Amino acid sequence: MIRGIIQWDRRLSRLAVGAITLGFLALLATGVTAYLSVRENQFYASRVNHSFKVQRALTDFIAEMNRAEIGRRGYLLTGVAAHAETYYKARDGLFPLLAHVRDLTRDNPRQQANVARLIALTRSDLPFMDQSIALVRSGRRDEGVRLFRDSVGRRAVTTLRAQTALMVDEEDRLLAIRQAATARSIRLFYVTVAAAGAILLLLAAGSIWVIARYTRDLAASRDQLRLLNDDLEGAVRERTTDLQRANDEIQRFAYIVSHDLRSPLVNVMGFTSELEATAKTLGAMMGRAEQQAPDLVDAEAKRALREDMPEALNFIRTSTEKMDRLINAILRLSREGRRAVTLEKLDMDALIQSIADVHRHRIDANDIDLSIAPDLPDIVSDRLAVEQIFGNIVENAIKYMVPGRRGRIEIRGRSEGRRAIFEVADNGRGIDPRDHHRIFDLFRRSGMQDQQGEGIGLAHVRAIAYRLGGMISVDSELARGATFRIDLPIEFSGEQRILE
Amino acid sequence: MTSHQTVTIIMIEDDEGHARLIEKNIRRAGISNEIRHFTDGTSALEFLYDHPSGPAQNGPALILLDLNLPDMSGTDLLGRFKAEDSALKRTPIIVLTTTDDKVEVQNCYDLGCNVYITKPVNYDSFADAIRQLGLFLSVIQVPDLPEANG
Repeated sequence: MIRGIIQWDRRLSRLAVGAITLGFLALLATGVTAYLSVRENQFYASRVNHSFKVQRALTDFIAEMNRAEIGRRGYLLTGVAAHAETYYKARDGLFPLLAHVRDLTRDNPRQQANVARLIALTRSDLPFMDQSIALVRSGRRDEGVRLFRDSVGRRAVTTLRAQTALMVDEEDRLLAIRQAATARSIRLFYVTVAAAGAILLLLAAGSIWVIARYTRDLAASRDQLRLLNDDLEGAVRERTTDLQRANDEIQRFAYIVSHDLRSPLVNVMGFTSELEATAKTLGAMMGRAEQQAPDLVDAEAKRALREDMPEALNFIRTSTEKMDRLINAILRLSREGRRAVTLEKLDMDALIQSIADVHRHRIDANDIDLSIAPDLPDIVSDRLAVEQIFGNIVENAIKYMVPGRRGRIEIRGRSEGRRAIFEVADNGRGIDPRDHHRIFDLFRRSGMQDQQGEGIGLAHVRAIAYRLGGMISVDSELARGATFRIDLPIEFSGEQRILE
Repeated sequence: MTSHQTVTIIMIEDDEGHARLIEKNIRRAGISNEIRHFTDGTSALEFLYDHPSGPAQNGPALILLDLNLPDMSGTDLLGRFKAEDSALKRTPIIVLTTTDDKVEVQNCYDLGCNVYITKPVNYDSFADAIRQLGLFLSVIQVPDLPEANG
C-alpha cells in the first residue's frame, strides 16, 4: 500500500513539475509575443507617422503652388512688383518640396510614379507661368494675360491639385491599413498580457494546490507513522511482558519441580544406604552362618544377598545420582533465568583470552591450535553469563575433537550494526545437521556417546544467550567440524527494564 | 547442672522418611536427647508455645525445621520463632531443607536461623551434616545454661 502511495506521489510530483514547467514556458511565450507585438506596433506607428509626413509635404506643396498662383495673378492684375516677388519665392520652393516627397515615398512604387507625374506636370506648367510674369514685366501685359488665360484653359493648376489629391488619397489608404495593423498589434498585446495574467494566476493556484497537497500528505503520513510507531512499541512491550511472564512461570515451575523432586530422592538415597548397611550386617551374619552351620545357607540365599541385592542397590544408586544431576541441571537453568544480570562494558579480547587460559591445560594436553582473532567487538553485557557461554562452547570444542587429527579452534568476531557476532569454529567431529536443533534442548545430545555429560551445557548456553538478548546457532557437518555462532547485542539494555 | 538430656530436639518435618533418616543419624552420632517429631506447623506451634513440657514453659530445646510444610511456610514459622516478643527467640534453630538456593538461605539467616543445612541426595554427606549437628548440639549447651537455670 505504501509502495502504491509512493508511486502515486512520484507520478504526482512529476506531473506537478511538468505542469509548472509548462506554465513557465507559456509565460515566456507570452512575453516574447508581447515583445513582438510591441515591436510591430512601433513599426506600424512609425509607418503611420510616415504617411502623415508625406501628406503634410503634399499639403505644403499645394499651399506653395497656390501661393505662387496667387502671386502671379496679383502681378498680372496690378503689376505691383511685390506680387512678382511672392510668385518667385513660392515657385522656388516647389521643386525642393517635390524632391522631399519623392524621397519620402521611395519605398512605394505607386507613389513614385505619382510623384514623377507631379514633377513632370509642374515642370511643364512652370515655363508658362514664368513667361507670363516676364511678359508683364517687359510691358507686354496683354500677351501675359493671354498666356494666363491659356493656362486656365488648360486647367493646369487644377490638374496639379488633382494629382496631389490622388497622392494624398493613396497615403490615406496606406494610413488606414497601417492604423488597422497598429490597432491589431495593440489588441494582440492586450490579449497576450491577459493570457500571461491568466497563466500566472493558474500557475500560482497550481503551485499553491501542489504545496498544500504535499504539506497535507506529509502531515498525514507523519501522523500515521507516529501512530504506527506508538502502536508497534506498545505491541512489542505487550509481547515482551507476556513472554517475560511466561518465562517467569516456567522458571518458577522448574524451581518447584526440581525442589519437590529432590525431597523423595533424599529418601530413596538415604534408605538405599540404610539397606546397604543392613545388607552388610546380613552378609556378616551369613558369613558366620556359613562357618558355623553351612547346611543352613543355600545357594539361592547366598546369590540373593551377595549378587542380586548389591546389583539392585547399585542400579538404584546410579539412577538416583543421575536423577539428582538432572534435577540439579534444571535447578541451575531456572536459577540462571532468575539471576539478575549486571551490565558492564566487556573487553572481549581479554575475556576470551581468560577463557582460553582456563582451558590452557587441556588445550596443551590435547595438542590443539587455538587462535583468537584480534579486535573482537566489545559489548555491554553480563560478564558471568558471557563467560559461561564462551567457556561452554570452547570446552565442547576441546571435548569433541577427532582422535588422531590435530585439533584447531578459531575464535573470531565482528560487529554488524548493533549486534556483535562471535564465531567459535573447530575441526572436530561435527554435528549431524539433523541434530542442530536438538543439541540446544535440555538433556539432548548428539553423535557418539563416548564423553561424559548430561546434555545440559548447550541448553544452558542457549538459555543464557536468550537472557542476554542474544541468539546461538550452529553450522556443522559430521566429521567436518562445527562453527557456533553467538549473536549478542553490542549494548544490552535488559528486557527487565521494559517490565519495570 | 543442666546436662545433655535436658535439651529436647524438636523436629518439624513433614516427610516421614526424612524424619526417620535424621533421627537415625542423630542417634548414630551418639546423641541420645529426646526427639519430638511434628509433621505440620500447627501441631508444632501448639507444643512449642502451649504444651506444659514444651520449651516455652520448660526449656531448653533445639528446633530442626523443614521449610516445606503442608500447612504453612517454614520461613513464616522461623519468623515467628525469632520475633522480638517470642519466647523461643533464643532457641537455636537449624533449618534443614532440600534447596540450596542462595536467596532462600540468606533469607533464613536474615530471619535468625542459626544453622542452615541442605539435605543432600548423597547420603554420606547427609549423615555427615547430621553428625556435625551433634557437635553443634554440644556447643550450644553453654549459652543455654543461664536460661535453663533461670
